[in-house]
Formats: sequence, C-alpha cells, structure tokens
Amino acid sequence: MKLRKNLQEVINDLKTNEDFNDNIVHWQVIEAKEAKHVPFPDRMNDKIKQALEKRGITGLYTHQATAFDAAVSGNSLVAVTPTASGKTLCYNLPVLQKILEDEKTRALYIFPTKALSYDQKSELNEMIHEMDAAINSYTYDGDTPSNIRQKIRQAGHIVITNPDMLHSGILPHHTKWVSLFENLKYVIIDELHIYRGVFGSHTANVIRRLKRICKFYGSDPVFVCTSATINNPKELAMELTEKEMVLVDNNGAPSGKKHFVFYNPPIVNKPLNIRRSAVLEVRKLANQFLKNKIQTIVFARSRVRVEILLTYLQELVSKQLGPKSIRGYRGGYLPTQRREIEQGLRDGSIYGVISTNALELGVDIGQLQVCIMTGYPGSISSAWQQAGRAGRRHGEALIIMVGSSSALDQYIVQHPDYFFTRNPETARINPDNLLIMVDHVKCAAYELPFKKGDTFGKTEIMDVLEFLTEERVLHQNGDKWHWMNDAFPASNISLRSAAQENVVIIDQTNAPNNRVIGEMDTFSAMTLLHDEAIYLHQGIQFQVEELDWEEKKAFVREVNVDYYTDANLAVQLSVLEVDKQRTFASTTAAFGDVAIRAMPTIFKKIKFETHENIGSGPISLPEVELHTSSAMLSMEPDIFEWDENRIEQGMIGASHALNYMIPLYVMCDPHDIHVYPQVKAAHNEKPTIFIYDSYPGGIGLSDKVYENSEIILLETISMIENCSCDNGCPSCIGTESATKTAKSDAKQLLGQFCQEKRS
Amino acid sequence: MSLKNKLNRMKTHMNLEKVDHPSPVEENIGIVNEDIPFLEKWLENDTVPYHFDDDYCFIREVRYPLNHKHGLYAFSELKKIVNEWNQTSLEHPLSARGVNSEDLFFFDTETTGLGGGAGNTIFLLGYAYLEGEEVVVKQHILPQPGSEIPLYQSFLEKINYETLVTYNGKSFDWPQLKTRHTLIKEHVPKLPEFGHFDLYHASRRLWRNKLERVKLSVVETDILEVHREDDIPGYLAPMIYFDFVERKNPEILFGIMKHNELDILSLISLYIHLSRKILQIDGYTEDSMEIARWLAYLGKKEESVETYEKILTAGNEEDRIIAGHALAFQKKKEKQFNEALEIWKEVAVKGNVQLRIQAQIECAKLYEHQFKDVAFALKCSLIAHQEMIREESGLIPGKKQLELEKRIRRLEKKELSKDIFV
Repeated sequence: MKLRKNLQEVINDLKTNEDFNDNIVHWQVIEAKEAKHVPFPDRMNDKIKQALEKRGITGLYTHQATAFDAAVSGNSLVAVTPTASGKTLCYNLPVLQKILEDEKTRALYIFPTKALSYDQKSELNEMIHEMDAAINSYTYDGDTPSNIRQKIRQAGHIVITNPDMLHSGILPHHTKWVSLFENLKYVIIDELHIYRGVFGSHTANVIRRLKRICKFYGSDPVFVCTSATINNPKELAMELTEKEMVLVDNNGAPSGKKHFVFYNPPIVNKPLNIRRSAVLEVRKLANQFLKNKIQTIVFARSRVRVEILLTYLQELVSKQLGPKSIRGYRGGYLPTQRREIEQGLRDGSIYGVISTNALELGVDIGQLQVCIMTGYPGSISSAWQQAGRAGRRHGEALIIMVGSSSALDQYIVQHPDYFFTRNPETARINPDNLLIMVDHVKCAAYELPFKKGDTFGKTEIMDVLEFLTEERVLHQNGDKWHWMNDAFPASNISLRSAAQENVVIIDQTNAPNNRVIGEMDTFSAMTLLHDEAIYLHQGIQFQVEELDWEEKKAFVREVNVDYYTDANLAVQLSVLEVDKQRTFASTTAAFGDVAIRAMPTIFKKIKFETHENIGSGPISLPEVELHTSSAMLSMEPDIFEWDENRIEQGMIGASHALNYMIPLYVMCDPHDIHVYPQVKAAHNEKPTIFIYDSYPGGIGLSDKVYENSEIILLETISMIENCSCDNGCPSCIGTESATKTAKSDAKQLLGQFCQEKRS
Repeated sequence: MSLKNKLNRMKTHMNLEKVDHPSPVEENIGIVNEDIPFLEKWLENDTVPYHFDDDYCFIREVRYPLNHKHGLYAFSELKKIVNEWNQTSLEHPLSARGVNSEDLFFFDTETTGLGGGAGNTIFLLGYAYLEGEEVVVKQHILPQPGSEIPLYQSFLEKINYETLVTYNGKSFDWPQLKTRHTLIKEHVPKLPEFGHFDLYHASRRLWRNKLERVKLSVVETDILEVHREDDIPGYLAPMIYFDFVERKNPEILFGIMKHNELDILSLISLYIHLSRKILQIDGYTEDSMEIARWLAYLGKKEESVETYEKILTAGNEEDRIIAGHALAFQKKKEKQFNEALEIWKEVAVKGNVQLRIQAQIECAKLYEHQFKDVAFALKCSLIAHQEMIREESGLIPGKKQLELEKRIRRLEKKELSKDIFV
C-alpha cells in the first residue's frame, strides 16, 4: 500500500513534477514571524488576568494592548488584524474590564452574519466562565426563542447580534431595551471591511439610527471595530460610525512559514490565447492534497463554480474518503447545514471544503494547511483573507492561486510584484445614497420623531422630511415630524441587496413532501432560477420546473445531466441628468444619473468538461428597471474613419477590458459595476461607454471611476498591450468582438480619452 | 438638480404607496378653541378639547343608565356579579374579591398599525367604569401624531382604579401604552400599577373549540348576543385615522369612536358572562366541561370535581362520559379504586374511540396494580391495542402504542410465570 504523503512531500512533488512545475509562474515564500508580546496592562482587572493565565496566555500581543488602552480610555478605534491574530481580545478585554468596573455597563456586538455571532458567543462565554464573573452574554437574532428575549433585553450585559436584527428587531422596539440603551458603553463592529458597497451604506444608516436612539436615552458609546487589511480602514470606520477613530495596526501575532504560489494553467489554444480551465486545474491540484488527507480549502468565485468543483472532487475521492468528507459552503445553504460543516472542519472529519467568499469571514473553522483559489478573488484584500485560512502558527502552509483566462486574473498572475507590493483596495460606502438613506429616515422616524434642524448622522435631511410628508409617510406637527403610516417600515427594507424580496427554492422531487432548500435574491434569480435552468445545490443538480415570479417561488426537481446553464441579460440605457462633466477637444467624460432597463433573454446549455454550447432556450420574465449613477466616456463620432461596426467592435472590446480592470481600483466585484458601450448614445448621439453601479441610486463606485478615469484607462491600455494574443482573447478584450482589428481598435479608442486628458 | 427632484424621480424604487394630492403643512403654536377645526362637530358628538402645554387633545364622554342592556345583560348585573365574587372563597384569575365594582376599568385602544414597534401610535384611549347609577365611557383622542403629551396627561391625571379589564390587553394594549409612554415619560405622570383581567385568555379557554376565531367581535355576536348596526370594522381604523389627520373633518372618525365604545361596553357584558360561567350561577351549562377543565388546570381540585359531578347528573351523554373519565382520575388519586374502575368500564364502552382506548388502559393499570388481576389487565390491554391498531392503521407506531405494547409484553410474561407456579 502506498503511504500517505505529508504537506512537505507534496510541496516537493509540485516543485519537481513537470505536470505542475511548468505552470508555476511565481513561488513566494513568506517567512515565519515571531510574536511581539507585552505584559498585561496595569489597570487590567485581576479576574481577567487570571482567566487569561488559565488559558496559558501570560501577556498580550502589541496590538491587543494598544486596543485595550485606547478603548478603556474612551477612544473609538479600528484594529487592523490578519486572520488568526487574536483580534477578539481587542474588544473582549476592554468590554469585560468595563463591566467588572461597573456592573450596569452594556455592550452591543455586531457581526455581519449569524454564523459569526454564534462562534463569538461560545468563545466569550468560555472566557466569562473562567473569570467566574456574573456577566450575561446572549445572542439576539432571528433564532432566539421568544421566551428568553425579555431576559436578554433587561439583563444582558453583552448582546450579540447582526445588522439585520439591529435594523428590524431591536431599534424599532427600543422602548423594550431601555436598560441597554441607557447604559451602552461599547459597540463592537467586527469584520469592518465587509461593510462596503450596498451593505455598508445600509449599515452606516442603521448606525445613524442606533446613535440617535442612544442620544435619546443619554448614552454615547465607544465604537471598537476590527478589520482585515484594506487600504482605508480608518476612513471606512469613520464613514460608517461618524466618530473619530484611532487606528491600531501594530500587529504582534506570530505566523508560520507560508508558500504563496501563482499557478497559470497551460495554453490550449495558441491563436486565441485560451488557457485550460482554472476549474479543471484546481480539480487536479486539490486531488493531490485530498487523497493524502491534507486539509484543504478551495475558494471559487461563484456559487455555480462551487457546486461544479464539489461534484468533481466528491467523485474523485469518494472511494478513499467518502463523499461526506468533502463539502460545499456558500450562501443559500440553511444555517444548520453550515453549522455542521464548520464543526466538521474543526474536528477534522471533513478534509476538504469548497467555498465562495462566505468563508473569508472569521467563521471559526480552525486553520487548514492548504488554500487553493480558483481564479483571483477580485481584490487584493480578499486574496489575503482567503490565504489566511491556511497557516497554523507553527508549521508550514501552502497557498495556490490558479489564474483563470480573465484579463484581471492574467494581469495579476503575470505581475506578482504588483500583488505583493501594492496597497490593498479602498472600500467605498455611500451612506447618503438617496434610496438607502430615505428608507432609513423612514425607519428612524418610526423609532423617534425628527425635530426641525435635526440631521441624520451629519447629513441635512429637511428636504427628505418634507418629501416624506408630501408622500403621507410622515406628519408634520409644529416643528416635529412623526411617523404616520400603518406599516412597519423595517420589514420592507433588506440591508443585503437591491432586491427586497427573495425567491424561495422548493424541491418537489419527493412530492407531495416538498421542502425548501434555499433562497436567492430576485436579481440573481432572473439569471439562475429561470424555467429550465440547472440549479446546483450541495453538488446535486436540480432543474427549475417553474419559476413563479409573482409569488417568488422556484419549483425544482432533482436531475442528472451533463451540462449547466448560463443566461444572457439584455440592457437598455438612457441618461437622466448629467451632474459633472469634463470636456476636451474630441472627448467628454461625464458623471450623472441613468435609467437602465434589463431583461433576461436567452439561456445556453453548456456541457461540463468541454464547456461547449449544446443548446439554448428563451427566458420570459418581466423587465426590471434600475435608476443609478454612471460615469460616461463619449467621443466625437468622426475621429476615426471607421464604419459603425468597427467602432462597435472596438468599443465592446474596450468595455470588456475596462470591466476587468476597474475592480483593481475600486473594492467591488466585477458584477457590482457594469460597463456598457453604445455606438450612438441616445442623449448625445456619440459613441459612449457607460460605467454604472449595479445598485439603484449608486453606491459611489462609478463616481470613483469618473474621478480616477485617467489612471484606469492607462492601466487598461497597458493590460491590453501586454497580452500575448494576436487579435484579442478572453484575457483582454473578450471574444465577442471577433474582427481582426478589434484589439488595436480598442487600444486606440481608450488611448483617445487619455491623450487629450494629459494635454 | 435639487434633492427633491431626485427624490421624486427615484420614487419607483422606494417603498411608498400612491397618494393623490399634497397636503398643506399646519403649524399649531398657542392653540385656542377657535383654532380647532370642526369644533362644532366635535361638540355635537359629546367631545370637548383638553388643553395642555400649548397643545390639545379631545375627550369624549357618554353615560349609560345601569338598566341599559348590552347584549344578554344590563350593566346593573356588574354590581351583582362583583358581589358574588366577594361572597365566594374560590380563588381565580378573574376574581373580583376585594374589589369594588366601581374600581374596574374596562379599557381598549385604537392604534395606527399592528405589532408592537415604537412607531405604532395609539390614537384613541377608551375606557368605561361604573359611577353611582351610571356607566361612564370616556375616550381620549389624539388630534394628530405628535400631540401625545396632552393625550397622556389627560389620561393619566385622572385614572385611579384597581383593575384593568381588557381583551388581549396583556400582550397588546398595555405594552403598547408603555412603549408610547416611554417616549414622553419626562413630560407626563408615571404609569400606575394595575391588576389586570385579560378576557381574551378566559374566552379562549371556554370557546376555542366552539368558535372559529376567538375575536371579540365573534364572541360578541355568537355568545353575548350583541348585534351592531352600521359598525365600522376595526381593521379600517388606521386608514380612517390618517384620513382624519389630513382633512381634519372628524365625521368619519366618529364611526371608529362608536366602534371602540361598543367594544368597551362588550367588555362589561363579557366580564359578567364569564364570571357567571366560572361561578356556575346558572348551574350546568354547555360550557361546564371547559370550566371544570380550567378549574382542574388551576389546581382547584374540589371545585373541578364538583363541576364534573354536576355534568354527570345534568349533562348530555357525551359530556357525561368525558366528565366521568376526568372524574375517574380524581377518584384514583383519592384511592377510590372501585369507583374509578366502574366509571372507566362504562367509558370503555360508551366513549369515543380515544376515550375507549384510554379507559381500557386505565382499567388495565388498575387491574394490574390495585386488584392484582393480571388476566383482566392483559385482556383490557389487548382490547385497547386492537382499537389503536384499527384507528391508526398504516401509521408508524406512536409513543403511546409502544408503551402499550411494552405493557402487554410485561403482562404476558407475568401471566406465563403465574402458570408455571400454579
């Protein structure tokens, strides 16, 4: 019998075996780092010291000590901490200290997901138990049984919740939480970097409401935030909480030696510059580790990829390990399923997990030995978060990033210096997005009336109050505005997505015993749950038999087919208003409001393994309308003496390339932003490239693109130039523009914008 | 572009309902009676303004003579029933022992929405009480959102009663009152402590099997024989109130006030009716069974046995069997095994299938443990088992069936060993 290999042996295999070695473009070794300790701070309560000593902790890491001192002296702070650096002590210590000093003290912990708060409670309670102190900590979320809710409201020193529950379950009922709000000393915001884009903009408004209520009850809590490495943690924390912040970034935690490998799949089609599928390469790599029982986490960018990889890998190793030892993990699974998987990873009964970025967060799954990324995760910050999943404090860890054919991936894989030296991305929020803010002003008015001269956070809102009065949502009585509606506003507002209603997925394989297996936001459902779509859940294929759009239900049945489906979305666009504009000799850059109407048109059936198109069908769903903000790049139609088709091909190529490069400058997923070319835009009859936010009202992404258009254009041109293909390929300008001149045309078009700007 | 234009354009993305016409904004600084819109109409409807702190609310008062009959009862019955409570030794959640009939405070609110959030506004606080030879109904009305200080001031400065009587007020009206009070507690008197009779819970105990929904309106028609004419249903209250706030004309609001008034009057009749049931003033009635169960649940052994016995003598066949079954448990507890066995034997023949099975099992227990008759115990168990199988054919054996099968196996073993030794 063949002996199992350990990690070191598999690493040597990778280095020597041609199958792999030829594809490795970069091998970075990150040396182990020693811990930086300081003694316990003097004022720290003895009970806390003793509890820490019981766990074998005799001092604090430097960043923990700094955070403790700042928080205890009443300063709000943001601590930047990599994975597994003991960040929870950064907030637990000052909170416990304050409660020991004054029993009345209350603290509110906010975690972005329920899974995280669940972990946190166990850890906190363990600590409290060892301290032998009468401190109550409870999670308060949708799963909290109603019979203990009252006790939590009155007697919970530490209440652990999530932004959604704060928004719809706590703030609207603040009169039942008087003892919490009167004595609230600390608000903890963990995983700060998650609060960006739509979710961050919503949460910033929830915090405005929280602070309003605190003020009503006479408290003014200190905010303690922790964040993964991003470019602007302090700025984000200040935008989110509207508080002055101390930045704590003197990380003193140790780390083990790490190998960071960039892996580029071999080219299989030279003229088109097409590489072997990253998914297939990952399958091959992951198999090396899993068959040797080396705990491995594989990240994939989409739910569909998670499910495809899961199917592959479960097949490969089911004989050696059994299918239960490799699991999928993503949004859409039910909480109990997730808990079971997390537990399995910690106790070692699960060897492999295939995940979307859901596991980037601090969900406690222990530390694994190997991390494989299927494609660049979209941001430097995210890549480091995922990489942090591998690596114990002692011993080595291996991280492999497998590039896909996309332009961004190829750019990153071929520029390791760029990745290892550049600052991570900037996280953007726009708390003043009108749609988001108005929703929360409604909730806030429901909670407490507004007075003349009141601001919402730091934002003037008299116009909004008057608008809502005209809309019969508020009632002005003297110099106050009161809620006047029979609705409960928070219940119609979801913090997580533009779509307010989710589609429930119902499995009717064993009819009449139908069961709900998951849910999905309506926008994704248009392209993933249309009639005849193949929906993958835990590696099982389901076909959608009927999407009931009115009732928001998708009825699915288990099937076994060798293809998956991919849907197209048709878009119409019109400009409503131009807010900012820069005009040059032959080009214009503008920023303003646009209306987009989108409708899914057809879907394609794509065969596994070969990825060839084996059929298609129509999708009949109603049009969805979106009002948002957009950057617009226009040029005079007659600069180039090309026919309309050539211009169009060039613009499609340029748009494709831009869409890939923008996430390098703005922290977002490529689908948070859309790039859409029009040869003859309706508003100015000129060739125009629109770059718009996917969220109604915009969340600041396209604004940032407008402000930084020059550097983005220059980098995009250089990306196209550096691509080794002849006439354009999926890695630069995409394959939709098939003409021979498309690649140079795209470059010329983009160049036209920069040329004049520099002059 | 101005913020307002932008807001108007984005409307379709917001959760707003459609409205037809804009409303002027009103200022109300230093209000005098002459400034109150439609004051004439208010006055015609027994309502006067109450001024406080540069603001006002309305208070309506109507009086009924004690001989006024609302449904089954005249209000004078309330005095009598409170007397009855004071003469019995029965302890009960609805007992008015030690309470004067004038200290009962029949209370109901109208709100602008459902649920218990901070923004759900109470716009009407209504209550009734006995005063001399009259029932007084008072309603405090919020003229517009934000004028809550006069509303609660006027309400709290006068109330001085022992016990609230409400319909579902324990989980709705009173907590909501507390919530709204919290928002202005610096400006108005404290909320007093009250006793609380929640008639919803009592009504559920008696009629949940009989009525499709135990709503006050259903109890009113089906039990109390109160019949309303031209009543405005309560669920329209928020819309009607918003319409009033906008147009200031109270005409349409008077309907809601009348509705609330009738609700409160029904609370009086309902309290009389429930008390008569609990005190069994009319002897055996079709509600006696639920009363007996309730008393048993409250631990009032003696009273529940008495009630079961009343049912045994006066009740119909079905009730008598059920009462007997319940009574037999009581007899068994009191070690009157022969009496218990006789009753269960009858139930095992005449009861419905569930009762027959239970009675057989109880007989089996008595035979096995008290009368030491294994053969009879086994026989009863087997009959029960047969009935059970027939009743639940095809289903997975439940806990009860498994228990019974265990009993049978044990009895069979005993029977066998007895054969060996004999």
